[in-house]
Amino acid sequence: MKKYLSAALLALLLLCMTACSDQKNKEGDAPAPQPSDFTALTDIEEGRPDIYLIVKLIDSGYWQVIIKGAQEAGKDLDCNVYYAGTSIETDWQGQRKLLETAVSRGADAIILSPDDSVELSPDIEKIHKKSIPVILIDTAANTESFDICYMTDNLLAGENAAKEMLSKLHACGHADDETLSVGIIVGTSNSQTISERLAGFYQFWSANAPSAWTIISDIKNCNGVNEQGESMTVDLMNDYPDLAGLYGTNNGPTKALCTAVSKQGRKDLVIVGFDYSDEMKALLESDEYNASTMLQRQYDMSYNGVRSALDLLGGNAPEVKFTDTGVVCVNHDNLTDPDVVNVLQHN
Amino acid sequence: MKKKRQLKQKEISLIKGGHAFYITLLICLVVFITAITLLIASFNRLISTHDQNLSGEICVLLSEKMNSSISSMTNSAADVASVISAQKESSPEKIYTLLKENPDKNYLSAGLLDDSGKLYATDAEAAEFQKWQLRETASLADPVSMTMPYRSTLYGQPVVSVFSRLSYGGEQEGYLFFTYPLSDLQKLATTAVLENDIEIWLMNASSANIIQCAGADAHAVGSWTNAYLAMQNIDSKDRNTYRLWISEVRKGEDKVGISYSIEDTFYSQFCSKLESMPGWYVVVRLPSHALSATMNSFRNNVLYFLAVLLLVMIFLIANLYLRSQRENEMLNKLSIHDPLTGALNRRAFEFAAEQRLTRGPDAALIFFDIDFFKQVNDRFGHDAGDKLLVAFSQALQKNFAETGILSRFGGDEFVVLADLESKDALSAILAKAKEDVHAITIDDSKTDSTGFTISFSAGAACFPQDAGDLNGLKQCADAALYKVKESTRDDYKWFEAGKN
Repeated sequence: MKKYLSAALLALLLLCMTACSDQKNKEGDAPAPQPSDFTALTDIEEGRPDIYLIVKLIDSGYWQVIIKGAQEAGKDLDCNVYYAGTSIETDWQGQRKLLETAVSRGADAIILSPDDSVELSPDIEKIHKKSIPVILIDTAANTESFDICYMTDNLLAGENAAKEMLSKLHACGHADDETLSVGIIVGTSNSQTISERLAGFYQFWSANAPSAWTIISDIKNCNGVNEQGESMTVDLMNDYPDLAGLYGTNNGPTKALCTAVSKQGRKDLVIVGFDYSDEMKALLESDEYNASTMLQRQYDMSYNGVRSALDLLGGNAPEVKFTDTGVVCVNHDNLTDPDVVNVLQHN
Repeated sequence: MKKKRQLKQKEISLIKGGHAFYITLLICLVVFITAITLLIASFNRLISTHDQNLSGEICVLLSEKMNSSISSMTNSAADVASVISAQKESSPEKIYTLLKENPDKNYLSAGLLDDSGKLYATDAEAAEFQKWQLRETASLADPVSMTMPYRSTLYGQPVVSVFSRLSYGGEQEGYLFFTYPLSDLQKLATTAVLENDIEIWLMNASSANIIQCAGADAHAVGSWTNAYLAMQNIDSKDRNTYRLWISEVRKGEDKVGISYSIEDTFYSQFCSKLESMPGWYVVVRLPSHALSATMNSFRNNVLYFLAVLLLVMIFLIANLYLRSQRENEMLNKLSIHDPLTGALNRRAFEFAAEQRLTRGPDAALIFFDIDFFKQVNDRFGHDAGDKLLVAFSQALQKNFAETGILSRFGGDEFVVLADLESKDALSAILAKAKEDVHAITIDDSKTDSTGFTISFSAGAACFPQDAGDLNGLKQCADAALYKVKESTRDDYKWFEAGKN
């Protein structure tokens, strides 16, 4: 019986020791994704500046255009360019390692597209303090410690998307006093880029849309899963009989919108999205569907990024810290415009 | 065999008193732990309710502080305009130079829109006017207006511009503009105590767009999102309330508060209209746990104190109990055992035997009598007699320990109540006991004990065949013993109903 008493005392002691603890095991079991190693994009020659490019999603078509821009800038402007990236867009820890590697290999300048604008800011500040030029492309960081940023101003891009949506809805014959709604699908709720595109869309819409035209407040989040985005699109079609338009804030949801609308044959709906894909291309080329997409000038971002890096190394500080590379709105009607053709060649 | 030993221990423990103490102690522990759990739960509820109410009040106060801080920012722009107006300067170029050379400037940039609409600013600043349609905000200045936050091309960070109406050169009117980093708003909103918990946004009523001005992570300042997207992170049970909150803000209510949970955290959120930014609200959010830290620390200290108190009490009670148990054991020994031989005394035997017979299985009661014990006392003395009694008791204990209960009934009389598998089996044990008793020698240096053999006479009766209760069994066994004593002694007999 004494051992039962001891066990009870021990249990009580353990209870007391753990009662007030709120420690939680936050470590996941999944293996950490590994970033790629740096690869030379140009011929490597002694005596030329070494510029390191770190992108988000190394295998994506969008980022391949960025890599191509840096490669051609390296050839045109006579410097060594290396590149690396992560396998998923949220792997900011992977990018942190890549930044450390670039510095340890003696990078003369770093061009970065941060996976996380907030988490990587302290790392960017550390590198900038070492007098290594830091050029941001595609996505800004929430710090002032960088030299220049080339990116789409996503707030304005979102406004442009809303402008295009309103224009197309009017073109489809919807009257100002007609009750209609527009659904939105986002790829994630934690990306600053997506949040700004959404905020810009709301901003323009609230200032310019007829009061009878509303945005469905239940914003769908497909969390990066295109199949989920498709089924959410179908839900919107079924739940809102007055649905007239759909807005996708980035490539994934836009592809999902195009696929679902195409499968359902909903030629009455206006689609406005971002980036270029086979699904979007099919709708853009069709005479029957109403699709538009906002294409970024990502080639310009990296090309100009390399140019600015060389300027900075030559002692020429840029006049501005932020350059909006803008978006090009592409729809069925302007597919043959020279500017659009040029942007499409780089997408 | 093991089972039989357990049964016997059980019978003895019945005499000793059982597990009442441990059961009582366990019940006390359960009651104590339940009471503590209820106390903590009640305390937590109290803290939670208190914090929820208080955090709501703090949000209201902070939103008012933020509102007045923004007003003081716009007022300082108005003051600059008043000072310049008072200087009676009529040339916009000179006013622009004054602004640029102002030694006390706390803004990123400044400029002037003159009466004709001409902009006095750098080319980059002029591009910002074009890009963000800042002239529209300037026209709203009465006497001041503030732009929505925008990302500055010049500085690469979110900024706000304040416009202040300016009178110059007699009847001419224009607008001064000053651009401040959005992070200045964070400095205005900072409170030393809650700076790691409080979050402050600006919210546009018509679009429901929100931009962060202050938060635990300084790098998050300037992040845009939309309230409807932010709603996705709120627990689903609170989303409708949140949707209603957004609707009320969009309708133009002056002040609106809300409480909601995200995962395990409860938040209070309050917004109030910004006088200097028409259509904009300042939103303050505070997690209720931010206020709980002190109370939680107090609760944990109380808990630790109670735990230590409980452990000390358990230790003292256990110590007292063990001491009392040792004393009881001693008393038990004295009250149920024969002090000389250690066998049960008559009273304890009768109690244990009654318990055993009530349980049911066949048993045998055997009376033992040491043959010629009086002669031992007379010839070798009482000490030798006592030693013989001890040795005799040990011999019986050795043979009946596994199957029976032994008692010294009085003088040289012993009794055993043994399990009865068969008479033959028990007879075999009796025969062995007989041999062991024969082997007992009287160790006395003064008197020659050669040729003196110790033996016993025994009479046995079966339960329930010979008698159905203890008294009956005793009579039967006694009768059988008598038969042996009448004849040869140094033997044993079973009770036979007709013959005895």
